[in-house]
Amino acid sequence: MKFLIIFSDEFHGFFKSKVMFVLWIGLPMITILMHFFQPDMAEFPFSILVSIVLSAIGGTIASAMIGTSLTSEINQKVYDLFLIRPVKRITLLFAKFCAVYLCLVIAVLISLILGLLIDYCTMGGLSNTFMRTLFESLATSLAAIAISCSIGLLFGVTVSSVPVTAILSVYVGNQLSALSILPALLVDIINPLALAAIIGIIIPTILIIISSIIFIRKDF
Amino acid sequence: MVSQAYNIENFMMRYEESLEENNFQDLKFHNVTKSYKNLVALKNVSLSVRRGDIFGYIGPNGAGKTTTLKIIVGLIKDYSGEYLINNAVVSDTKSDLSKLIGYHPQDVGFQSWRTVNSALYTFGRLSGISKSELEERILFTLQFVGLQDFREIKIKYLSGGMIQKLRLAQALLNFPKLLILDEPLSGLDPTSRFQIKSLIKALAQKEITILFSSHILNDVEDIANKIGIINQGNIMKIGTPSQLQEDFQLGNIIEMIYTEDSHKCLELDVIKEVEKIENYSNTMQLIHLRADVNADEVSHTILKKIIQQKCRIRSYRFVKPSLEKVYLHYLNGEVK
Repeated sequence: MKFLIIFSDEFHGFFKSKVMFVLWIGLPMITILMHFFQPDMAEFPFSILVSIVLSAIGGTIASAMIGTSLTSEINQKVYDLFLIRPVKRITLLFAKFCAVYLCLVIAVLISLILGLLIDYCTMGGLSNTFMRTLFESLATSLAAIAISCSIGLLFGVTVSSVPVTAILSVYVGNQLSALSILPALLVDIINPLALAAIIGIIIPTILIIISSIIFIRKDF
Repeated sequence: MVSQAYNIENFMMRYEESLEENNFQDLKFHNVTKSYKNLVALKNVSLSVRRGDIFGYIGPNGAGKTTTLKIIVGLIKDYSGEYLINNAVVSDTKSDLSKLIGYHPQDVGFQSWRTVNSALYTFGRLSGISKSELEERILFTLQFVGLQDFREIKIKYLSGGMIQKLRLAQALLNFPKLLILDEPLSGLDPTSRFQIKSLIKALAQKEITILFSSHILNDVEDIANKIGIINQGNIMKIGTPSQLQEDFQLGNIIEMIYTEDSHKCLELDVIKEVEKIENYSNTMQLIHLRADVNADEVSHTILKKIIQQKCRIRSYRFVKPSLEKVYLHYLNGEVK
């Protein structure tokens, strides 16, 4: 119940502060621009290219967004009035994580649907192999964004300077989000979809738990 | 407009209607110590606040007031010593604590996108107030603090005083039994200060307990029935205002105002119990009595002299040392 209140509050905040519009319009715009300025990639499907690029951009945005907003809100003592109420600190963090993640996932999905439409029009149809590759690519992107979000969360609660949080989140978040792709590239027998799901759940869960422990011990 | 917005009677009636059983009895600190790295913010602080008390907490900047209040509301958890509410150690009773307490922080931020209404709505929902009841409570509380016309305005556009009122509104929203106010009167206009002081007194009459910190000693003197003085993390003194003044043995002062034609007609220097006389003006004297003498007896002697010498005086009264004087003496370590 408390989770839903904070989650919807965060989501409402993204709407009110125009973050949502920037993401939901900005990322699809990148897709359109990519269509016009894409390099010659022979038969490589456009939507898969979109998925790969967006996972990198989305991951960077996610980690920076969650990290900087957490650090600045902690510095501004925004959470004091939340934490004097019967709200668990882990609920506060998890709700923020989910709100940022959902906001980005929707932006990525909008962009991907746009990419699919472009592919459908240019290729004259979508094969099963294409769709499977696309799902694998999408799962990897979502896992990468989840990892980036949780890294942003960790820096958000540990670092007290907003610029430092932003730099660390962008650098480390972006680099570590590649963890969702690496094993599949190194080991052929692993199903990339399953692997992305596992990595996309395990790493963020561990990072959220570590962030929560730090946040719980923090004095306000 | 102002009187309508600040109707204490209406507010108190509504407060009483919504108040569940007041289960707060007392709050105690036993040797609470809190350090931030190398800085000791509180050193073995022991204090107790009972139901219905208006506890004024005073001390210079960085004395440890806000740290104490933050421990009480649960924002600081890492401390040593014991903190009890109703004789139960607080670390085990987090959820009950938040139902009991309303907290007005000294400085707190709000997200830049928030409106007054959205802040109160979220805090109200998190405090467990139902949606149907919350709407009416928000309106009612905003009317009381005088922010009803700013309900849909973003908080970032409000003035400092208005934000201060919003902090108070969120603290009152769940009709707490223990109200913790960190500098509630700073930055407010005189009308609002008067209103909040009246509210504090009215709440205490209904056995709502108030613990507030302030730098404005006149306000503390006006409303507190118990005062704690803290300096460098140490509690210097806790007591009622009169206890503080008496314990300090500053001695009594008699203020005497003469009529224009008979100023200083008394020769009081001959009375050995009079320590010194300050001539404030041609018509006004402050007669400082020695701390160890019986003030009533000396006063009787002085009054007899007034009659004997046919002095015409306009007023004659005992002046107790102000809280400011007591406070400064405690801080300067001149306590006997």
